Amino acid sequence: MVESLQLQAAAWALTTALELGLFVQLIRHRVNKDYPQFLVYLVSAFFQSLALAALYRTGNLDKMTVWKIAWLTQGLVVTMRALAMVELNRRVLSRYIGIWALARRLLLGVAVAVIAYDLLLSKGQWQWLILNGVRGLELAMAAVIVTMLLFARYYRVPVNLLQRALAVGLCLYSTFYVINYSIFERVLRQYAVLWNFLGIFAFIASLLVWINAANRYAESTEVAPLPAISPELYGKLSSEVNARLLLLNRQLIQFLHVQERGQ
Amino acid sequence: MTLPVLLLLLFALLLIALLAWALRPSAEQSQPALDVFEALRRSRHASRISHVMQALQPADTEYLRETSQVALMQTLRRQRRRIALDYLNHLQKEFEMLLEVSRVLAVMSPEALGMEEMERWKLSLTFATNCAFLRWKLRLGLQPFSGFNLLSNMATDIGRQLDAATTRIAEVAVRSSEHPGIGDAKIDGR
Repeated sequence: MVESLQLQAAAWALTTALELGLFVQLIRHRVNKDYPQFLVYLVSAFFQSLALAALYRTGNLDKMTVWKIAWLTQGLVVTMRALAMVELNRRVLSRYIGIWALARRLLLGVAVAVIAYDLLLSKGQWQWLILNGVRGLELAMAAVIVTMLLFARYYRVPVNLLQRALAVGLCLYSTFYVINYSIFERVLRQYAVLWNFLGIFAFIASLLVWINAANRYAESTEVAPLPAISPELYGKLSSEVNARLLLLNRQLIQFLHVQERGQ
Repeated sequence: MTLPVLLLLLFALLLIALLAWALRPSAEQSQPALDVFEALRRSRHASRISHVMQALQPADTEYLRETSQVALMQTLRRQRRRIALDYLNHLQKEFEMLLEVSRVLAVMSPEALGMEEMERWKLSLTFATNCAFLRWKLRLGLQPFSGFNLLSNMATDIGRQLDAATTRIAEVAVRSSEHPGIGDAKIDGR
């Protein structure tokens, strides 16, 4: 038990060191200019580690107060991460204003649906409301990132190395948090130390992915924005494409009728 | 573990799988030089539906049964089913070309009309579903059908609509070549 706690403390120290390393890389390669919210998230995660370490060392406060402060800091960090995720989505898709107009509605819908579903599980108890709210937010972030990447893939929107790394790191950490929380809280409470260690390990993996991408980042890799055509021309062309698709569908439906009538 | 929590877990695992899929390098290469007007003016297989429908008409081969050539009738019908499948493949190609055009359009689309993309998504989904369903039905074998005249009229109607659509596209193309500024009005105006 003592050994595992020492291991966890070492992992914690390593996390803090990696956070500092990432911070330096972000500043050095001027990533903070394009992704300021991500830097804010990193700084908040760093200070959360320090605050929690100080909180657990003091030992003067009662358990409930510690629990509340710990979850408050966690809520702040998760909010910062959510803002960093919004910033990432905007950086990838907002150059294409039509796609972005559709994507932001869809992404918002996905986020609201996932959070609402997760909050329904708390059955009105405030403790569960906080815990499930954080889990819902984590899951919503992962869902939004995956939807954004699927969007980018469908429309063949270029996603550079740093954007991919940020997406992978944020998504993997969030999904791992959800899996960890759901299994550990409900089923495998006896493996709490192991699960906590794995949680830190997931964050370390994300930090390494981000450091690698930040190290290779160059501002010139950012793709220049594409021009948008006039609403009038787009409207006409778009209507024609939709009309052609509609006609193709009607052809197929005719075929289907032929089949059904023949049977 | 309750079912809702289990569903959350499964959803999280599904997200990891989708993340891996979304990050895979795309097998399809985009066509950067795709000309929207040119692509929309290309020949349409959809306009040949009346011939394919006629070939599938049972009355076309029914006389063979009356002359006791059932085997020949079946062979003929099998061949015609194969032709229908080929036709379906061409429709699919036309559909994919339209999707490519719609992607090119989407990256240039202005914000006000971004929701047209949603309409296209729905149409694409309907087409893909119908296409897969019909392909399997054709593979399983066509039966004789009635009401051909009605369907043939529908096909003629669609052909007429396609002609009208092509004319409108040509008009847009001519107008934008006469007034090149029309498409540039929004450029750099984000």
